[in-house]
This record gives sequence, C-alpha cells and structure tokens, in this order.
Amino acid sequence: MSTVTPTRPAARPAPDRPPPARPNRAIRVSKWQIYVPLGLYLLFTLVPFYWMLVFAVRPRGSTSLLPWPVSLENFETVWNGLGFGVFFANSLKVGAAALVSTTVIALAGGYALARYRFRGRTAFMVAMLCTQFIPGAMMLIPLFEVFRTLELVNSLWSLVIAETVFQLPLSLILISGFIRNVPVELEEAAWVDGCSRLRGFLVVVLPMLRPGLVAVGSFAFIHSWNNFLFALMFVSEQEKYTIPVGLAFTLGEFSVDFGALAAGGVVAAVPVVLVFAIVQRYLVQGLSAGAVKG
Amino acid sequence: MAPGRWSRTATALAVGACLALAGCGDDPAADGTTTITFWDDNGGPARTPVWEHMIAEFEKENPTIKVKYVGIPIAQVQQKYDTAIAGGGLPDVGGVTTAMLANLAAREVLEPMDERLSGSALDGKLNEQVVDTVKATVPDEKLYMVPLSTNLGVFWYRADWFAEAKISPPANWDEFYSAVEKLTDRPNNRYGYTIRGGAGSISQLLEVLYGQSGIDEVFDSSGESTVNDPGNVEALERIAGLYKKVTPEADVTNDYVKMVAQFDGGNIGVMQHNLGSYTDHVETLGEDKVDAMFVPAGEDGTRTVTSHPVTGLGVFAAGEQRDAAFRFAEFVAGKEMNTYWATETGVLPANTEVADAAGLEHITRAAQVLSDPGTTLVQLPYYLPEFNSITKTDAEPQFQKVLLGELSARDFLDEMAGKLTEAQASYDERNGG
Repeated sequence: MSTVTPTRPAARPAPDRPPPARPNRAIRVSKWQIYVPLGLYLLFTLVPFYWMLVFAVRPRGSTSLLPWPVSLENFETVWNGLGFGVFFANSLKVGAAALVSTTVIALAGGYALARYRFRGRTAFMVAMLCTQFIPGAMMLIPLFEVFRTLELVNSLWSLVIAETVFQLPLSLILISGFIRNVPVELEEAAWVDGCSRLRGFLVVVLPMLRPGLVAVGSFAFIHSWNNFLFALMFVSEQEKYTIPVGLAFTLGEFSVDFGALAAGGVVAAVPVVLVFAIVQRYLVQGLSAGAVKG
Repeated sequence: MAPGRWSRTATALAVGACLALAGCGDDPAADGTTTITFWDDNGGPARTPVWEHMIAEFEKENPTIKVKYVGIPIAQVQQKYDTAIAGGGLPDVGGVTTAMLANLAAREVLEPMDERLSGSALDGKLNEQVVDTVKATVPDEKLYMVPLSTNLGVFWYRADWFAEAKISPPANWDEFYSAVEKLTDRPNNRYGYTIRGGAGSISQLLEVLYGQSGIDEVFDSSGESTVNDPGNVEALERIAGLYKKVTPEADVTNDYVKMVAQFDGGNIGVMQHNLGSYTDHVETLGEDKVDAMFVPAGEDGTRTVTSHPVTGLGVFAAGEQRDAAFRFAEFVAGKEMNTYWATETGVLPANTEVADAAGLEHITRAAQVLSDPGTTLVQLPYYLPEFNSITKTDAEPQFQKVLLGELSARDFLDEMAGKLTEAQASYDERNGG
C-alpha cells in the first residue's frame, strides 16, 4: 500500500517588489550625471553675469575680481548721465503694449485656428511658419516706409506694431495648440447653459489657457525688451530710445565705458530675469502643452 | 482669475499702454522758433555731453533756433543713414566723416558747403590740408561737410613701464622693436605690444607698413597700388613676427574694445591707435602712467604717416532748415567751440585759430608732427566706394591668416593691392580720369 505523503505546497513566488529603499549606487551615479553637467553649464552661463556684476559695481580704476567694495557710480552714470531712466520707461511701455497686443490677437486668431475648419487653414499655418524665416533686418526698409506713410516713424507705436507682427506667428501657433487641448464639449456645455460663444470662451476656455498666455506674453515682452534694430531705426529722438540702444551708446568710436556698459547690462537684465523667475513654472507648462500636444 | 477680472485687466493694460505711448507724440512748435534735428554720429557718454554743451552755447547765441540732439551709436550710424536715405527721415544736419562721405555724396543727400563757407566767418580759417583731404574724398572735389577735426596715428605707451625698464620712447623703428621686446614679461602677463587683429585692423596696419617703408603714395603714377611693394611686404613680415612673441595670443581677434581693455587693464606696454582714445586711457590709468609717441621715423629720420578720416558736420539737402543747419555747423567749427571740441575729445582741430589753444600737450605735438617738413602724409583712398569693403570685409580675415601663419605676407598684400588697383581703375573710368 502506498501511502501518499502530503507534500507541502511549494511556496508561492514572492511578488515583484521594488528594491529595498537603501542607498543605491546606480541612483547616486545618476545624480552625479545630472548635477555635474548642470553645474558646469550653470558655471558657463553665470560667469559672464558675474563678470558684468563685478564691472558694474566696482569703483572706476579698480581691478578687483570681487564685487567689493560696492560703488553705485556706474549706475548713476547710466541712469542719470546716459538717460537710462527714460530708456527704461520706454522699454517698459513698448514691452507692455507688445505683450497685450500680441496676446489678445494671438488669442483671437488661435481660437479661430483651433475651433474652425476653413479653406486655406493649413496654408495659413504654413505661411505663418514661413514668416519666421525672414530676418528682421530684411524687413527694415519696407517697414520703415510703411510707418512713414502712417506717420508712425519716431513713435513708440512703430516698435509695438513691428514687435507684434514679428511675434504673432509663433504666438498664434502656440495658443491654437493650447486651445485644441481644451475639450470642445466644455464649451458646448456652457452654450447649453445659455452662454454666447464669447462668454463661453471667457468663462470656460480662458482660465485654462493661463500657462499658454504666460508663455506667449513673456516671449512677446522679452523679445521687444531686447530688440535693438527696430528701436534704433524707427526712432530718431533721444527721449524715445529704448534700453538696447542705450547700451550701444556706451561703445564709442574712441571710448568704451566698461563700467557703464556693465551697469547698463544689469539694468537691462533685471526685468528679464524677474519675468523669467516669476513665470518660469507656467512657461514650461505652456511651451510643452501648446507645442507638443497641439 | 475670473473672466470679468481678466477682461478688466486686459482693457486697463491696453488703455494704459495707449495713453502712455500716445503721450510721446510730437507737440507742434507754435512759438515761432526754428527747430533743426542734429544726428551725432558717435553718441555716447564721451561725446554727448560735449555736444550738449555746444548746443546750449549755440542756442544762447541763436535764441530763435532750437537744436534737437539725436545720438547714434557709432557702430550703427552708416546703417541709420542708409535706412533714412532709403525710407526718408534724414536730419537737417549730421555728423559725418570722410570715411562715409563718398557714399553719402554719391547719393546726393548732402549739400555742398563751398559757397556757404566762402561767405562765412570760417572763410580762410580752416586748415587747408584738412579741407583738401575732404575735397579729395569725392569725385567733384566739392566740400560736402564743414570739417571739425582730424586725427593722427599714435602709439600710446606705459610711461611707467618704460621708466621701470630704463628705456626711452623709441625714436625709430629699430628702437621700437627693441623696446617692445624688452617690455615683455610673459610670466607676469605683461606684453610689450598689442596687434589689432580683429575689426578695424587694416587702417592701423597700413599706417605701420607705410610708416616703415616710407612709401608716400597708395597708388603710383600708373594707378597700381603700392600696398604690395617689397618695402611693405618686409614691414608686414616684421610686425607680424611680433605676434605671440611680444603680444597676447588672443590678439588675432583683437578689435578696438578688446585692445583698449588689455591696455587699460595694465597688460600692454605699447598700443597703436590714434589721438581719440586719450581721455579713456588717462581716466583709467592716470595721466602719469600713459603718454603718446607718434609713428617712429625711418632710417633717414623722416616720418611717414597715413591720413585719418576727417570728422565734421554735413548739411542734408532734403532738410527744410538748411540755413539754420549751416549756422549751427559754422558755429561749432568756429574758434571758441572748436577749441572746446578739441580739448574735450583730444583730436586735432580743423580751425587754424585753435592750434595753440587746445591746451593738451599731445595735441600740440601732433600738430607739430603733421606740419613738420620731415613728415610725409600718405592719403588713404577713402574716396573709393570699395575702400571699406576691401579693407574690412576682404582684408581683415586674410590678415588674421597672416598672423596665424596660414598666409604669406606677400600673398596677402598682393591680393589687397589687386583689389585696390581695380577699384581705382573703376573710379578713374567713372570720373573720366
């Protein structure tokens, strides 16, 4: 007689678990792989800024490699002597106006591109993209003649219009991509509840576009803040120049005021750095959502 | 943000921007004064205050004329004029130099000054050599600007380094080469000389070449360029031989800004430039540490220098206020203002009444060098429309190759001479020469 010896059931294989949470060499290595190149890149990027700061704040004639002792002499020279106070205000006006006009027009145009199907839509998008390949310098004389006809030469409006025109194609494409990501059913629900198309857009779509608006607005502002060529060519009055033209003043034929140049550079960089610091979270969202998913 | 707030914010921003921008519009002049627009071709912290002072003096003396000052950065002034010529919007009067005069005169945008000057207080007061240089710039030999000043090549040197090394400023080229070697102390980051290898290199190079060879014309009687004369080739080989030996290696891309940064930063013993950078060096290094020497003399004791662009004011033909514009140009070229101009900017005044009044020793010495019978002035062909492109676009990269040993001095000068000869032939043909 045979006896059957019950066998112990085989132990169930342990389910897949994540490795124990202990310091892992592989993770440490990957951190170094991230931080070392990033650190080097930061160093590479920040050294010119440091150099600019040192030149801006050290007293004239000093050869110190440290920004100490601090002297505000160069800032006084550029702000009062070179008129950077006026240039700064002009740049702010042009930047703010370009931001508003670019954003508003890009919103309207982007909505049309995203929500309507019309003949020539693709061709329009391609044409928009093509305009990005035309350098601003090539458009200088035609734009100058247009503004002269409109009596806008020597007016800050010429800068606002030129900036808006050059910023619109990219802004339109970005915003339209963003609007496409907002389900149309949400808008339809708003219409069912009695909203008009505009009201539905304002109530439902617009609040969801904040990252895109920030991306488009900040690009428009920064681009117009930095634009030198148009500001120099379309304006021929000292009191209407903008910051980049002011910076060029520090480079004379026989004279280069490095302290003033650096101080002017700091004045010019501060608003751009601030804008980036404030909006960088939205900016990344805006660019990725609008451009990749669109 | 609620939609209401969004739209209100956007509207407020738009209205605010409109008001702010609209506030910058021109107010029509209603007080009977004439307003002229003046473009300063070298606007910046060094020149703008000088012009502001002269404008204030002019307005004091001419209360019915107001001058609207517009400073243009020097690097963009040609582009600014070109855009205004093509699209409109030229000023009534503007700063011009002989380097841009041929271009402007060819497009007939400037009014000739000959008749106006002959009947003005400046008649006979302007340096003849300067006036001739201006007239030689254009084919019709008219005076298309009121000259204010000219310049002269200078070797700025560290007087304290020379004293430390117990050597005198060189009087001839052999002493020059010997001095820059003695001043070099590479371990301590001290270099005896700096070569301008980047933007603007060729005009300085030509001064050194003709200064050493003693050749007195850029074109010989048959219209061939003398740039590739064996004397100039030898001179180029000698000066290029200094590269990396007594100069920083980075000199191959040295433009004016980098060159001055090195000199004023205390790394260079001798720097070739012109009178115009005086204020910069003195401000940074101090008056006791920097001094000027002129192009060293040749073996026979004579000195050869090249002409420098003449700076002045042009009255634009399209302007509606040409009389007032000329009155302004006449005023700033007069004795009092020209003295002020020369003193403040450190250049050679065009008004002969000023010569002894500038008060700066190096200017007095420069004037003496120019008027010395032992000095030969080589007129560079600024009148050739191609001169800028030949000496900048074409020749600058090639000169860098010479410094790097990738191109021989002879080949480089042959190429430049060929282009200059061709440009001169075309010029002669166009002007019936």
